[in-house]
This record gives sequence, C-alpha cells and structure tokens, in this order.
Amino acid sequence: MDIFTQLLLNSIIAGAMYSISAMGFSLTFGAARFLNVAHGAVAAVAGYAVFFFSVQLKMNFAVSIVLGICCAAAVGWLTDRFVFRPLRHRKASSLVMVVASLGLMIALQAVLAMLFTSQFRTIGGYRFSSAVPVGNGAITWAQLAAVILGVVIFAGLMLILKRTQFGRAVRAVSDDEEVARIVGIDTDAVIGKVFLLGSALAGTAAILVGIDTGLQPTMVLVLLLTAAVSAIIGGIKSVPGAFLGAYLLGFVENFGIWRIGSEWKWTVVFVLLILFLIFRPQGILGKK
Amino acid sequence: MAYLIHIAILVCIYGIVAMSLNLIVGYTGLISITHAAFFGMGAYATAILMVGHGVNFFVAMLVGIAVAAVASLLIGRVLAGLTSDYYVLGTIGFNYIVFGILINWAELTRGPLGIPGIPRPNIFGIHFSTDALFLFLAFVFLVATYAVCRWVAASSFGRILKAIREDEGAIQVFGYRTSNYKLAVFVIGGALAAVAGSFYASFIRFVAPSSFSVLESAFIFSIVVLGGAANLKGSLIGAFFLVLLPEALRFVGFSADIAAQMRQVVYGLLLVVLMLYRPQGLMGEYKL
Repeated sequence: MDIFTQLLLNSIIAGAMYSISAMGFSLTFGAARFLNVAHGAVAAVAGYAVFFFSVQLKMNFAVSIVLGICCAAAVGWLTDRFVFRPLRHRKASSLVMVVASLGLMIALQAVLAMLFTSQFRTIGGYRFSSAVPVGNGAITWAQLAAVILGVVIFAGLMLILKRTQFGRAVRAVSDDEEVARIVGIDTDAVIGKVFLLGSALAGTAAILVGIDTGLQPTMVLVLLLTAAVSAIIGGIKSVPGAFLGAYLLGFVENFGIWRIGSEWKWTVVFVLLILFLIFRPQGILGKK
Repeated sequence: MAYLIHIAILVCIYGIVAMSLNLIVGYTGLISITHAAFFGMGAYATAILMVGHGVNFFVAMLVGIAVAAVASLLIGRVLAGLTSDYYVLGTIGFNYIVFGILINWAELTRGPLGIPGIPRPNIFGIHFSTDALFLFLAFVFLVATYAVCRWVAASSFGRILKAIREDEGAIQVFGYRTSNYKLAVFVIGGALAAVAGSFYASFIRFVAPSSFSVLESAFIFSIVVLGGAANLKGSLIGAFFLVLLPEALRFVGFSADIAAQMRQVVYGLLLVVLMLYRPQGLMGEYKL
C-alpha cells in the first residue's frame, strides 16, 4: 500500500462525506439566507437516532437508517418552523439568525450528550468495515457507499432543482424571496421543505461518518465546519459548487497534512477558507 | 461561606471575560465566538510558566496578556476581511484551531491531560492562598477591568467605535480607517480575556483544553447577549446569573454531570429565546 494512493483515496472519501452534508448546507443557506450553525447538530441527531434504534432497540439496521434520517429532517424542519420562520417574519438581521442557530447548536449537542453520554459510540458494527483493495490502497464498504451515494444524491438534487416545480420554487426563493412571494410562491412552505431536505442530507452524512469513525457529541462542530467550508469555497448557494468544494476540501486537507502532521488539519482547512474569502469570496462556481 | 466565596470568585472571573468580549461585540457589532481561545492563552501561559518554571503569577499574567494580544492582533487582521456571517464562522474556526493546538502540542500543554497543581498568586510576601484573599485580588482586577472598559467606551476612541457599529460607511467618509479601530478593540478585548484566564488557572489550579472550546466561547458570548450588548453592568449581571445557574441546578438535585449538560441546554435555549423576543438582551443599548 503506497501512501500516495491511500492519500488519494482518503481525499475522495473525505470529499464524498463532506459533499452530502455540504449540499444540504448550501440549499438551506440559499433559501434562508443565513449561516445555519445548527446544521451539524441537526445532522448528529440522525447519527444518534440510528444508534438508538439499531443498538439500543436492536432494530433492523436499514430501518434504523431511514428512521434516523427522518429524525434529522424533522428536527431541521422544527428549527425553521419555531425559530427561523418567526425571526424571518420579524425581519431579523442574519446575525440574529446566526446567534439563534448557535443557541440551537449548543442546546442540541447538550441534549445528545445527556441522552447518550459524551462517550464514543459506534453504529453498524463490523459489517461495513472490511476493506476492499483499490490499486495499492484500501477502502471500506461504508466509504465506498459514501462515494457512490454522494454522486447519486448530487445527480438527484440537480434533477429536482432543474426539472420539478418544487426545484424551480427553491431557485426562485434563493434568487429573491420577496419577488418569489409576490409571484405567488408560498415561500414559508418552500423554505420549510428546504430545511427538511437539507437536514435529511446532513443526517445522511452524519450516519455515514458514524459508521465510518463513530459518534461523539463533539462531532456537531466538525460536521458544521466541514459542510460550511465546503459550501463557501464551492460558491455558497450553488449545489454543484458545494459538491466540488467538498472534494477540494478533502484533497487539500489530506495532502496538506501529508508532511506536517494531522494536528494541523484544522489550520489547513481554515487557511483554505480564509484564502477563498479574501481572494475569491464568491467561491469556485459562485456568481459575483 | 466558603462556597459563596467560590461562586463570587467565578463571577469576578467571568465578569472580566464577559466585559472584555462586550467591548468587541457591543462596541463594534462583530459577533466573535472565539473568546475562550484568548481566555485559554492567559490560563495556559500562567499554568505553564508557574508550574514548569516557577515564574511569579503577575509576570506569568503579563506574558499571557502579551500572547493573547499578539494572537488577537494576527487573527484580527485576518478576520477583518470577513463580513457578518462569515466573520462568525471565521472566529469559530480560529477557536477550533487553538483548541486543537492545546490538545495536540503535548510537549508544551500536556495535551488532554491538562496541567494540575497551579499555585496561587504571591507578591511582596503576600500569599493569596485563601479563597477570601484571592477573591479580594480578583475583585480588584474586576474593578480595574470595568474602569478600563468604561474608559475605552467613553473616550473619543469609543465614540468612533459606536459610530462604526451604527454606520461604518458614514464614518469612513470622515476619513477614519475603521478596520484599525475594530482591530484595536479586538486586541484590547483579547488581552483582557487573558487576565481572566490567569485568574481562572490559579483559582481552579488546573487547566485542560476542554475549558477553552468553542462551547465555552459560546457560553461567554451568551453572558454578553443576556446582559445586553454595549452595557458593561449588563455583562456583570449576565455573568452572575449564568455562573449561578449550574449551581442552582445542582442544588435542585441534578448530578454534577447532568447539571453541566443542563446548563448548556439552558444557555442555548436562552440565546434562542433572547433572539426571538429581546435581541438587545436584558439591558442592552444596541440590537444585534
């Protein structure tokens, strides 16, 4: 197993995991127009729900995953219905929304820690951790699933956004909420559905991370930062941008720490974000 | 009585941190979720110098202030290029990096194990070994910090800061280089947080990375928001209330572990409720 191949594989795996959550982040940012700090916490709900159903209740794993994604989607929708929608109606500034979502993140993480302790939890057991050799490296079944799922979800989202009535409404709201409302779109309902969808995607990513490396309440921040950075460097509001940004982040992160050690991983991520915000604030695919 | 003194000292320490953050949040309108990083720099500088090298508390504190001031100068320069939502994300990212360094740079910080056995302050033959004496010292510094913040806020410098908060474009027209003003107050805030950090290390006699995480920054931020932006007395009341809260929870009969999580839930929900119903906090003069 040579290190270059493995790094290449790790980059693709990381990119795939980030991409799923990042596309959700990008959708919600586009529709609701603020940086939703609670995104990672809502995602983690799905991971822990899977733990609850499959390990604690010993339910079928596939059923648990579906239920887990539904839980995250429901929590995401509730945050919009009872916090962000009222704020939106009050014409609150985006900073107020960010602070409210920060509060939600803190509260959700603490609730997860209370229910499931701060200890490390694993889901899926060993059934997905056998390695498949690829060239001179290796990849587990769970990781392979993440890579394929990432592409499938991307394609599915693009179809929804371009071809369906709902997708057109989402794009209209992303462009200009006020005008969308004037032409008769029920913007609250659309934004609610976007939260549902975005949170489901975030939850899917968290479940994959949970199967791959395990669950911990502190993962909420990692899930948030990777999704947010991917979406921003890709071009916020652009789903293809989020997808590309996630892979770029995966590559930069894995090759960036090749020589200097993994403790600098977050510094590398942060530097990438700052470089983009200063030199190309619209991201890879964003419009000015 | 001993217990009351213990609480009073914590209120002093968090009062200092909250006022120092309020300078940044209240007088420039920037939402910084990274204050625990500067707090931690002060605490770690004190811990490392006092335990490892037998340096006097006050000298160690000065070193901590210097470290935090330089760090806040550098990161403040970088963050200055970011606007509202992205600024919040940038500060969270910086806190995460500092947290990572505290955990990973084990030769200096002993990593997750933390540094135990930090002595109490000692000057001119007076040894602040009892809690009552320590409270006296902490209170003196609390008053001094209040005076400094008050002076900053009331000076012509402070007036320009408030003008920047209200309308940055307008004050630029008058020829003020607003980014320098924002940076200056960021550095003052960071340096003052290090003072509180020194007290924290010497009082608890133990420092570990988990005390300086993003969640801790969010806690400090919620003190400021609760008390009200740009109101120093509000910050003191906020610190008093939020330090007392976990004690009250323990008093009602929750275990220490659950009380710690409960307090996170309360802080989080408090932020959400404040944003929904009273974004200016209890006695703030400025709405986020």
